[in-house]
Amino acid sequence: MLKYVNVNIDGAIIHAIKGTSALDTAIEYGICIPHLCHVPYLSDIGACRLCIVEHVVNGRSNVTTSCTLNVEEGMVIMTNTDRIRRLRHNLAELLVAQAPNSRAIQDIALRCGVKEVRYPFRNEDCVLCGRCVRVCTEVWKARAIGFVGRGKDRHVDYPFGVRPEFCKQCGSCIQLCPMTITPCDGPMKPGEERLCGNCESQLIIADEMVGSCVWCKLGEGFACGRYV
Amino acid sequence: MSRLNSFRELEHLRERLRGQRQNITTTVMVCGGTGCKASRSQAVIDAVRDELSRQGLDTKVRLCVTGCHGFCEQGPVIIIEPGNIFYCHVSPEDAFEIVYQTVVKGEVIERLLYTDPVAGKTVRIMSEIPFYRAQDRQILSQNLNVDPCSIEDYIVAGGYSALTKVLRGMTPENVIKEIVSSGLRGRGGGGFPTGRKWSECREAPGDEKYVICNADEGDPGAYMDRCVLEGNPHLVLEGMMIGAWAIGARKGYIYVRNEYPLAVEHSRTVVEQARKLGLLGDNILGSSFSFDVDIARGGGAFVCGESTALMASVEGKVGEPWPKDIHTVVDGLYHKPTTLNNVETWANVPSIILNGSSWFASKGTRGSKGTKILALTGRIKNTGLVEVAMGTPIRTVVFDIGGGAVNGNRVKAVQTGGPSGGCLPMDKFDLPIDFDVLYEAGSMVGSGGMVVMDEETCMVDMAKYFLTFLQDESCGKCLPCRLGIDRMLETITDITEGRGKPEQLDLLEELADTVAQTALCGLGKTAPNPVLSTLRYFRPEYEAHINEKKCLAGVCKALITYSIDPDKCNGCGVCLRGCVYGAITGRKKQAHIIDAQLCQKCGICRSECKFDAIRVA
Repeated sequence: MLKYVNVNIDGAIIHAIKGTSALDTAIEYGICIPHLCHVPYLSDIGACRLCIVEHVVNGRSNVTTSCTLNVEEGMVIMTNTDRIRRLRHNLAELLVAQAPNSRAIQDIALRCGVKEVRYPFRNEDCVLCGRCVRVCTEVWKARAIGFVGRGKDRHVDYPFGVRPEFCKQCGSCIQLCPMTITPCDGPMKPGEERLCGNCESQLIIADEMVGSCVWCKLGEGFACGRYV
Repeated sequence: MSRLNSFRELEHLRERLRGQRQNITTTVMVCGGTGCKASRSQAVIDAVRDELSRQGLDTKVRLCVTGCHGFCEQGPVIIIEPGNIFYCHVSPEDAFEIVYQTVVKGEVIERLLYTDPVAGKTVRIMSEIPFYRAQDRQILSQNLNVDPCSIEDYIVAGGYSALTKVLRGMTPENVIKEIVSSGLRGRGGGGFPTGRKWSECREAPGDEKYVICNADEGDPGAYMDRCVLEGNPHLVLEGMMIGAWAIGARKGYIYVRNEYPLAVEHSRTVVEQARKLGLLGDNILGSSFSFDVDIARGGGAFVCGESTALMASVEGKVGEPWPKDIHTVVDGLYHKPTTLNNVETWANVPSIILNGSSWFASKGTRGSKGTKILALTGRIKNTGLVEVAMGTPIRTVVFDIGGGAVNGNRVKAVQTGGPSGGCLPMDKFDLPIDFDVLYEAGSMVGSGGMVVMDEETCMVDMAKYFLTFLQDESCGKCLPCRLGIDRMLETITDITEGRGKPEQLDLLEELADTVAQTALCGLGKTAPNPVLSTLRYFRPEYEAHINEKKCLAGVCKALITYSIDPDKCNGCGVCLRGCVYGAITGRKKQAHIIDAQLCQKCGICRSECKFDAIRVA
C-alpha cells in the first residue's frame, strides 16, 4: 500500500507519495522546476543541477537538487527564491554557452532568465547529462555506452571506442538526447552562436505564473513537464 | 609467535618482549620515511647495520628503521638514544664514525649536528632544535621508537593496550561517549565531530556495518597521512578496531592510494601480522568481538578522497561521488551504514581511550581539540611535518617552526587546506589554527597542508595553478564543477595573459559563488576557494594584472619584460653565454642588452647573473 507524507513546497502543503523525489512531486502538482538530466523512468544522478531547490532543515536552508531528494514528512522546500533563481540562471548560462545548438538548452536558458551570455560560446555536441547512458544501462541492460575519462576529458563512448555487438542500434539514446533537436532557425554554424530567444512570448506566461507549470512551449525540445 | 587467545596472553607477550630487550643499551633510530628515503637514507641504514655487526654490537645496540621524523628538509636524519642526539644530512660514509664515536664512546660528532641558522650554534638534542621546540608531537612522536613493520616494537611501546581496555571494560556506548566528550573532529578536511559520526552510525539500522580509513591523500604538497600510515600503521589499525567495536562493524577497509607504495606495503604487513597474532579475525583476544581489515588501493584520483566516491571505488565502480542527501553513516558502502575517517583521526583514537577524553580536550581551543599535523611546504626554510596543538597561531608555525621564507624574502601569504582551502595574507597570521576560525576567514584547516608563499609568488598565477589541478581532478559528473572550473580557468588565463577586463572580476566572483553552492560533492563545493580567497585578500594584484597589465611578482610571462640594468652590468658575459635563445647581445666589459623580441622570459639570465643586474618588470 502506498504511504503518504505531507511536504511543503513553496508554501503549498502537498500530500506526496513516500519514496518519490521532490522533483517528481512538484511536477505532478504543477509546480515547474527546470531540469535536464532527469527522465521519469530512469535513476537520478543529479548531474545537471538545474533542478536545485532550497531545502530548509532546522531553520537553515541548503541548496540541493530536487531530483535526488526524497520527500519526507514535514519537509519544507522552496523552488523559486531569489537565491535559487540566481544560481539557476548562472548554471543555465554555463550550459547554453557550452552547447547553444540545441532547442532544449536554448529553452532552458530562456526559462531561467538568461538574457546575455558572458562567456565565449563553444559549440559542443554533448553536455554529459547522461540520459543516453542511463537508458542503455537501466532500461535495455545493454551497457553499450558509458562515460569515459575524467573531468574535461569525460565523454560518452562505446567500450574501447568500438560499437559492441550488444548494441542493437535501438536508438533510445538518440531519442532521449537533448541535443538532437536544433533551435527553430536551424543549426548555428561555428562562430555564429547566439541566444535564440524565439520563445520569448512563452516566457511572459511562465513569468507571471511564478512557481506553477503553465505547460508552455518551453522545454518541448526534451518533453519537460508533459510526460505521463 | 602464536595466536593470542586472551588479554593475559597479550600482557605476557609484552612482558616477555620487554625482558628480551633489557640488555639493549643504545638505540639508533634512522628515518626510513619517504622524505629521507629520497635523500638516500636506505644507504645510510645499510651502512650503519654493516658497521654495527662489524664491530660486534648487534645484541647491545638496536637499529630501528622508523617512520618520518618530520624534519624532512634535513634528511637523512638519525637520532641516538640515550641522549636524544640528533644528526642530520648523514651520509653512508659517516656510519663508522657514528658507531665508533657516539654509540661506543658516547661522544658527539659536532660536524653532523644541526646548526640553528638564527643563533648560528649547533644544537645537540633533538627537543632543543627550534623546529621541534614549538611543536606538540603527540602522534608523530610515536613514530620515533617504532619500526613500522614490527608488531613487537608496537607492543613493547604499549600498543594494543587501548584495545584491551575497550574490550575488557567499556561498552560501545561508553567508547562513543568518550570520543564525543574529547571533542575530536575529523582531520581529513571537513572537521565533522567524530563522536557524532560514530553514534549516528551505531544507531543506524542494519547488522552489517563498515569502517573505512581514508588514506587517499592527494593535495599538492601534503603528506601527513602518508607519514602516519607509513610510520605507525599499527596505531591507525588499533584506532580502527576501537571504532569498529564502538559502531558494531565486523569489516574495515584501508583505502590507500597506489602512489604511496610504502604505505600500501606497510599496511598490508601490519594487517598480516595482526591476523597472525589473532588481533584481527574472529573472537579477538577471546572476546566476542570479531573484525577484519582489507586493503583497497586507489588509482590516484583526487576525487576518490571524497567519501562517496571513495566508497564507489572500494565497491569496484568508477570513483564518482553520489548525492549525499542520505548520509553515508546510514547508507554508505554497499548501501550499509559506514563510518569513514581520515588516517590522522583514527590515529588519535587509541591515546584518547588510554589517557581519557579530558586529557585530549585540555589541548586546543573551544571548538577544536587536540593536536593537528601540518605539512609545511612552499617557499619556507624548514619544510617538513609539524604537529602543533590546535589554536597555535599561524605565525608560530610559519616563523618559529618554519623559520620564515627562503633567501630572506618577505612572506606574503600562506595557503592552508590544499586545493580546497584558501590563501591567508600576513595580517591574518595571528589567527589560531582552528576549524571554525579559519573557515570564517575564507580558508580551512583541511587535511593540514600549509604552503607558504613569498613576494615572488603571484597570487593570480597561484589560483590558476590550483584551478588547473582541480580541472584535471574533477570527475566531470556535475555541470557546475566541470564547466564552472573550466570557465574560471579560462577567465583567469585571460587575466594572466593580459586580456583581462575589469568586469571579469565580478563575473569570476559570481561564478565561484555559484559553483560553491551548487556542486554535487565536497570537491566541487570547495573548488572555488582558491579563487574566492585570493579575490578577497589580494584583489589589488588582480586589478594590477587587468588595469596596468603588470604582474608585480614577476611570474606571469605575458605581462613582464626582462631588461639589464646598465649601472649594475659589468659586461662579464655570463648571461650572454647562458641565453639559449640568443636574445642577449653586448660587447665585453660593456653593458649588455636583451632583445625583447627574442626573449622567451625563461629566467636563466637572472639566475646566472652574479651582480643582480637583470630586472623583471
